[in-house]
Amino acid sequence: MATIEMTAVRKEFGTTVALADLHLRVESGELVCLLGPSGCGKTTALRLLAGFESPDAGRILVDGSDVTTVPPKDRQFGMVFQEYSLFPNLTARQNVEFGLKVRRKGAREIAATVDRLLEVTRLEKHAAKFPHQMSGGQKQRVALARAIATEPRLLLLDEPLSALDAQVREHLRDEIRRLQQEVGVTTVFVTHDQHEAMAVADRVAVMRDGVLEQIDPPRTLWSRPATAFVAGFVGTVNRLSATRRADGAWRVLGSAVEVADDGLPMDALAAGRATAVVRPEQIGVRALPQRDADGAEPARVRSVSFLGAFTRVVLTHPDEDLITADLLGEAAQDLRVGDPVAVTVRSAAGAVVLQ
Amino acid sequence: MSATTSPVRSSPTARPPRLGAAARRRGAGAGRWVLLAALGLFFLVPQLAMARFAFQNIPVATLTLSNLTESWSLRRLGEALTEPGLWEATQVSVTLAVLAIVLNLALLLPLAVLAEIRAPRLRPVLTGVTLLPWVIPPIALVVGVAATFRTIAPWFLSSTLSLVPFYALWAMPFTYRALDAGLRGMNARTLVEAAQGLGASMPTVLFRVIVPNMSASIVAAGGLTAATVLGEFAFASLLLKETLPTYLVVYQRQAPQAGMALALTLLLLTTLALGAVVQLLRRRGLGVTTTGI
Repeated sequence: MATIEMTAVRKEFGTTVALADLHLRVESGELVCLLGPSGCGKTTALRLLAGFESPDAGRILVDGSDVTTVPPKDRQFGMVFQEYSLFPNLTARQNVEFGLKVRRKGAREIAATVDRLLEVTRLEKHAAKFPHQMSGGQKQRVALARAIATEPRLLLLDEPLSALDAQVREHLRDEIRRLQQEVGVTTVFVTHDQHEAMAVADRVAVMRDGVLEQIDPPRTLWSRPATAFVAGFVGTVNRLSATRRADGAWRVLGSAVEVADDGLPMDALAAGRATAVVRPEQIGVRALPQRDADGAEPARVRSVSFLGAFTRVVLTHPDEDLITADLLGEAAQDLRVGDPVAVTVRSAAGAVVLQ
Repeated sequence: MSATTSPVRSSPTARPPRLGAAARRRGAGAGRWVLLAALGLFFLVPQLAMARFAFQNIPVATLTLSNLTESWSLRRLGEALTEPGLWEATQVSVTLAVLAIVLNLALLLPLAVLAEIRAPRLRPVLTGVTLLPWVIPPIALVVGVAATFRTIAPWFLSSTLSLVPFYALWAMPFTYRALDAGLRGMNARTLVEAAQGLGASMPTVLFRVIVPNMSASIVAAGGLTAATVLGEFAFASLLLKETLPTYLVVYQRQAPQAGMALALTLLLLTTLALGAVVQLLRRRGLGVTTTGI
């Protein structure tokens, strides 16, 4: 286990700035997900940690010692790649043995370690198979066993699940988390899938254009996103107009809301108007009679989609663009397309971000 | 509201009904078989003619379809195989082929690996450079090199082994493409990084990861080099060396039918040997990549 620190790291490829000024600290035994869209610099950060790339500026520290110029073979990390990267000429067992043999471990130690890892990853029956004889999930489990066989100080996972189908991906995701916790290895997991990141990480680092936007535990990231980009990236969002009342409270869709963002632009503060980023599950929907008491045109249901755990309702609102609401349980059962509804922001569902 | 239907009437301007997808697939399938059959005939008919010329004890002028199955014999092949000159020439050619393969792999394997993992941008340059030997005709190459070596190292041209660099050079386009295709097919860069991450040094990566996983490409490269050497006539003839091709030319003038029997047997044996190696590699999941060759 080790503590990792990247300080003011910058990396450019030609005229493209892959990492602008990255500061990242990963505590010992922690699993941090680097999450972001393609080209945000997350894989570059991982490759810098591995030593496959050298930073143009900044330092990388492992347990306080500078490893910025240490070659990959001496960094003691295990890595799992997106495209499996098993050695095709070796069986599953030989693949897991590879790192131990390179490090000249004793035959008994190698056999014991490999047996244990094949058992933990439920690969005993496939030990004698070559990579081309295994499924994607099996290959990635071998890659995982191979990566942790050498007891690395740091485990690096570069989109390890993206080549797998949905069911296998979910299963292996849980397996990675279980193994990581069992072994207690400090882990950096790169993904562009927010559900994956939320499910496995102790903390999620959202990146954009080579910069870290926010790093927090998944719940904090979800309930108190620091920026509109983070809010949008970790889920579907509504952009609604927010106004500030005389008492200083912000209101969205007529509901008083808790505001998450400390960095609200000064001009928005001065004008008392802003755009609120509101998640679908923060929206409350209540059915109305065909025309409300004041005779004003209400919001209406545009579509209703049952998605299993919740129902997604899209609404047309007279003052806003389309509004998406995710309703749990029976809340959407009686809603039909065209029904008038009252729309609110549920204060119990967390803070909203203002832009 | 009611809906009515009326039968479709044919009119003089109506288009004929389109062929269904199944009918189109059947048509395409039949087209493929016809093309394959034509190619097969194009390849097999000359082979059959050569085989009849070599192995049927019937005067050539009287060979017809009616006596296709008559008087086949391996007698002429037996005669050819008893010629001592054949074995000497074979020994020379095999030695030259092995040395040309070794020289080519020693030069091109590290170069291809380095280009793939360190400088992929150099790949098109190397592809162009390795094509150069084919731009220069053999006669120009031999005359130029011979003129140079005659003054500085005459012993070089007097040895049969002087053919090795020429053959290595001549087979270079095939060898480099086979190695390059293999490297691209196995995703070498990721494998190198995976091995380095496990603590492997560069020599370990090369000999325990790259080379074993390139065995199919190395065999392909070697096979292509061997085929080039065993069939090359111009260099050997110009430098007055006796190799298998030059021997075959001379022997065919003396005994045309026995020479043809020998040539056909060599073709068959080479094909079987290559097929066996490819099958062996496929069983280990190491298919021979020929993309780009």
